[in-house]
Amino acid sequence: MRFLSLGVLLVGGFYSLSALASDGAALLQRLVQAERTQSFSGTFVYERNGSFSSHSVWHQVASDGVVRERLLQLDGAAKEVVRVDGQVQCASGMLADQLTDTQLRPGRAFDPSKLSQWYDLRVLGDSRVAGRATTVLALVPRDQHRHGIELHLDQQTGLALKSLLVNDKGQLLERFQLTHIQVGEMADEVLEPEAGCRPVRSAPAAVQPAQAWSAQWLPPGFSLNSSSERRSPASDESVACQVYDDGLARFSVFIEPLNDATAEDVRTQLGPTVAVSRRLKVVSGDVMVTVVGEIPLGTAERIALSIHSPGEARP
Amino acid sequence: MSRETLQESLSAVMDNQADELELRRVLAANGDPELRATWMRYQVVRAVMHKDLLEPRLDIASAVSAALADEPPPTAVAPQRGIWRSAGRLAVAASVTVAVLAGVRFYNQDEITGVQLAQQAAQPVLNIPQVSGPAMLVGFNSTAEQSASPVSAVGQGQPGWHEQRLPAYLRQHAQQAAMGTNEGALPYARAASLESR
Repeated sequence: MRFLSLGVLLVGGFYSLSALASDGAALLQRLVQAERTQSFSGTFVYERNGSFSSHSVWHQVASDGVVRERLLQLDGAAKEVVRVDGQVQCASGMLADQLTDTQLRPGRAFDPSKLSQWYDLRVLGDSRVAGRATTVLALVPRDQHRHGIELHLDQQTGLALKSLLVNDKGQLLERFQLTHIQVGEMADEVLEPEAGCRPVRSAPAAVQPAQAWSAQWLPPGFSLNSSSERRSPASDESVACQVYDDGLARFSVFIEPLNDATAEDVRTQLGPTVAVSRRLKVVSGDVMVTVVGEIPLGTAERIALSIHSPGEARP
Repeated sequence: MSRETLQESLSAVMDNQADELELRRVLAANGDPELRATWMRYQVVRAVMHKDLLEPRLDIASAVSAALADEPPPTAVAPQRGIWRSAGRLAVAASVTVAVLAGVRFYNQDEITGVQLAQQAAQPVLNIPQVSGPAMLVGFNSTAEQSASPVSAVGQGQPGWHEQRLPAYLRQHAQQAAMGTNEGALPYARAASLESR
C-alpha cells in the first residue's frame, strides 16, 4: 500500500514536471505561431548598459500569410528597417552597412524542441506588461555557456511583450519591453518607409571562403550558421566571418590577418555582447581571432582559443 | 657682560649667524625674563617682516617648563626590576624591528601593486563609454546620423588595431542577427543601439 502510494506520488510528480516543461515548450510554440499569424503595432523600449532607446513597431500579417514588419527608432536619428517575410527591403543609415549578400537570407526558425535541450523552460507565473496580462517564461541555461532569458508572453495573443537577458550572476544585461501594443489589422500606409530608408546595398561577398577556419571547441548546442568573407573595415585584407548559434544565442567569429601589426589581446563587454580578441600564430603570418556574441565572456575566450586554421588543426 | 652685547648675540642667534660663543652666551642667560621678552619681540618683528602667521602669546617654552615641573623626579630603579627593564628594552627593540620589517614588506607590496597597476594601465584596454558621450546629458541624442564607433581607445592618441575594427565587427554581428532572422524586433534594437554614438 505504501509502495503503491509512493509510486503514485512519483508518477504524479513526473507527470506534473513534464507538464510544466511542456507548458514552457507550448508557450514558445505559441509565440512562434503568434508572430506568423498575429498583426499588431506598438512601441517598445530597448535598454542595455549605456544605451536606452524607444521604437515603434508595425507587424502586419496579410491574408496570404506574408509578414510585413516596419521598425522605427523614435528618439535620436530616425533609424528604420522594413522587412517582408524576414527579407530586408530597406534600412536607414548605417543599420545595414556591414552586411554582405550571404547574410541577408532569413535565418533559422525558432525551434522550441531544440531550445529545450539547452535551456530549462520554466513557467514562473503571471505578470503585467503594457497594460496586458502576461505569463512569465524563463529560459534557464543548462550550462554556463549561454545567458538566461525571461520572456513575458501576452496571455491573449502569445506575443512576447518583454524580454530580459540575464547573466549567471542574475545581472540584467538588456531589456526589451513593449510599452503599448494594439493587436489587430492596420492600414497599409503605416508600413510605408520614410525617405531615409534606402534599399540595402550589401557588399559583395566571396562565394566560398578561401580558407576554412575551424573551431576545435564549440559550446554544446552551437553550430555553424553561415560563413562568409569580406573586406576588413580598416584595410584591404580579407576577413573571414563565421556565425554560430544555438537557436537563440549567437556569436560571430572574425579572422583577420595581422601583417605584423602590433595588437594586444582584448576582452570587452558592451551590454549583452562580449568581444574577445586573440592573436593566433599560423605559418602564413599571424592572424587576429575575434569572437563577438551574446554569450558569457569565459565561453567566448574558450572559443577564441580553439580556433585553428585547417592545416594546423590539433589532433 | 653688557646687555647690549647679549642682545647682539640674541639677534645673531635669531638670524642663524651666531658663533659658538654667542650661542653659549644666550643659553647661559636663558633665565633672564628681559632677554626672553626681547626674543619674543624679535620673533614678532620677523614674522611681520616675512608676513608669517604668528600667535605672539603662544609661549611653548613656559608651558613645557611648567609640565616638567609637575613631573615627579625620576627615582632610582630597584635592582630586581633590572632584568624586566632590559627585557622590556629588548621587546621594544624587537617590536621596532618587526615594525620596520613589516613596513618594508608593506612598502614593497605597495610597490608591486603599483607596478602591476601601471602595467595594466599600459595595456591598450578598450573602454566603452557607458553614456552617450562625455559631459553630455545621459538621455541626449543627436538627430544627426552618428557614424562614431561605440568602442574607443584609451590612452594612445592614434587609433589602435582594435579600435579600427571592433566597432565594425560588433555592428556586423548585430546587423546579421537583425537582418537575417525572423526573431522580431530585439536583434534590430540591438543593432540600432550600436549605431548611435
